[in-house]
Amino acid sequence: MMRLNPFRKLRAIRGIEYLFAVLVTSLFTLIFIPFRPEGGQDYTILSLLYLLPVVLSSVVWGLRPGVLAAVASFLALNYFFIPPYYTLLVHHTQDLLVLIVFLGVSITIGQLVGRVSKSLAETTAREHEAIHLYELTMHLAGLQDEKAIVSALAEQTLITFHATRVEVLVETKGNTPAQIVRLEDRLQSGQQIVGIPSFITPLQSARGFLGEIKLWREPAVLTKAEERMLNTFASQGVSALERVRLSQAASRARLLEESDRFKSSLLSSVSHELRTPLATIKAAITSLRSKTVEWDTEARADLLAVVEEETDHLNQLVGNLLNMSRIEAGALKPQRSWNSLADIVNSAVERMHQQTERHYLEVDVSADLPLVPVDYLLIEQVFINLISNSTKYSAESTKIGITAHAVKDDQLHVMVQNQGPHVQEEHLERIFDKFYRVTAADRVTGAGLGLSICKGIVEAHGGRIWAENLTGGFAFNFTLPLRVEGFSLEVGIERVDE
Amino acid sequence: MNSQPHILVIDDEAQILRALRTILSSNQFKVTVASRGEEGLALAAAISPDLIILDLSLPDMDGVEVCERLREWTQVPIIILSVRESERDKVIALDKGADDYLTKPFGIEELLARIRVALRHSAQNLGSQKSQIITAGSIVIDLALHIVTRSGEEVKLTATEFKLVAYLAANAGRVLTNQSILSRVWDPADADRVEYLRVYIRQLRKKLEENPDHPRIICNEPGIGYRFMVDE
Repeated sequence: MMRLNPFRKLRAIRGIEYLFAVLVTSLFTLIFIPFRPEGGQDYTILSLLYLLPVVLSSVVWGLRPGVLAAVASFLALNYFFIPPYYTLLVHHTQDLLVLIVFLGVSITIGQLVGRVSKSLAETTAREHEAIHLYELTMHLAGLQDEKAIVSALAEQTLITFHATRVEVLVETKGNTPAQIVRLEDRLQSGQQIVGIPSFITPLQSARGFLGEIKLWREPAVLTKAEERMLNTFASQGVSALERVRLSQAASRARLLEESDRFKSSLLSSVSHELRTPLATIKAAITSLRSKTVEWDTEARADLLAVVEEETDHLNQLVGNLLNMSRIEAGALKPQRSWNSLADIVNSAVERMHQQTERHYLEVDVSADLPLVPVDYLLIEQVFINLISNSTKYSAESTKIGITAHAVKDDQLHVMVQNQGPHVQEEHLERIFDKFYRVTAADRVTGAGLGLSICKGIVEAHGGRIWAENLTGGFAFNFTLPLRVEGFSLEVGIERVDE
Repeated sequence: MNSQPHILVIDDEAQILRALRTILSSNQFKVTVASRGEEGLALAAAISPDLIILDLSLPDMDGVEVCERLREWTQVPIIILSVRESERDKVIALDKGADDYLTKPFGIEELLARIRVALRHSAQNLGSQKSQIITAGSIVIDLALHIVTRSGEEVKLTATEFKLVAYLAANAGRVLTNQSILSRVWDPADADRVEYLRVYIRQLRKKLEENPDHPRIICNEPGIGYRFMVDE
């Protein structure tokens, strides 16, 4: 309600409108006196004119001032215009009749007009109320954040109630401090704000106390309608807050459910993965220890090789699990230092030499590539996982290629390609998800963690990883930034003294 | 050195002790085992082993502490054998005086090779007659004359390159941390400038290795440092 009302302050003095009604009547009387019909008996026109202050008072100040104006006009008419002048005496019964009719008519008009204007005022007030409520709900509607809701509530309350200051306090769960938003009307900020708020409305939900709205206002009076509106504001605020809290609770529940699902699929996939090599090792060892069979040297060596390979598998799996849990916990922080990518690739290839025995491995990673600030062991793990994945999904005796080159001096682009089958376009991104497999789990070994670990590690380094289908093969690509904050290269190279 | 080197194994895993005792004994080593740090320290003083294999997680104290206390009075070679595989753990143990580091699970061939290198190194130290000529494949390094030859031909090295290869070769077979190389060859203040080391290693490999992309002489110790491999 930004309408300026010059009477607003005065209105606060009780009964002032009655004084105004009397004053208006007097003013009209002063205007009418010069036109007093000298000696004439025709004052009926005046009795009509005297309806003016009555109607005016009724319209402006309402029913009762209107009635008062009617009475005042009646007296003024009698005193000033009905002979004998300046007395309240009436000589003619005819005059008396006029006066009585005037009084009756003017009171009736005053009442009618007053009622109409009162109901008009009420309607306007209701309309304003509706507008403010609409504005509040509009402001609250899209908000998904408690702080924003509290701010919007405070702002709308300040505007609607012409308050000098509004404070909305919302208690939060746990040990976090309550949300408080204080707003002050800048136009009125000249006034010193006193400590005690004029009104306090609790934000009460069905499940308990959420907070409160504190309102400072001059004068410290609220009309019935305003009180009602303040309560509506409070309940609107409560429902917005509850909506947000419910959706937060729902997303928390969803997260928990997801992590629960993660744990159970991890458990099932891991126990399967752990048991398979253990079963092989156990079978090989028990056969070797068995006294009933005499193993020839070749069979012996074969069984022992199986044991060694499966032990490496187990070790790799444990490493992946550790890394996965670090990534999940957000605890994967690369220990960066300047490294040569060629060195990293070489040690990964060396570690994988047994698993890659049945493939042709072609490495083309130059030692002259720029140094890259990465965590040696983590990037080595990326190569190990990508090579391991390539051996699993491509046929024996096919080629696995590793290439790398610098792009625009600010990143390295690495490609690990194999001659394995294509992956449908819609799966290309999802193969980096945990436990996601394109083929059925029992056809290929692995916990379904390798690629998601690669993604976690590459992204922790500020790089990007993606897969693509090539003509006659499949490739993993990833990038590693060469420029990282806090890592500058300054190496002066000496010349050989000839 | 006696004909049968004496190895002290300090590890709290009974199964590892059992396996190592069997394996090392059958490889002509004399083996004594301890399952606690204090026990290990006491045994080290009592039997004067030729080499100590040490686990980092011990029930009564940390292996790094055992390492430190051993180094107060003996230069016996120490090989760390641990499941801790982070670079930090390895670097700390090596900086506290360990000679080598092997993570569990390990291949026994590798452990035996490391034991041989460590024993040879300590034998050289004992003899105080350090070998001045080091051979690795076709490379011959003469530390006294500051000459490096490859298949008989002299290889031109810069001053820093020679300092680097000399330091690596003098510690042949042992793993050297990036930090220790940087502070010895460059300056202790440059201990973190790994990029210097990377660049010079690349240059050295180009000059010394047959295939610089697959080094056989100056080998990487992932995340830790380098190891200069000599002919056994």
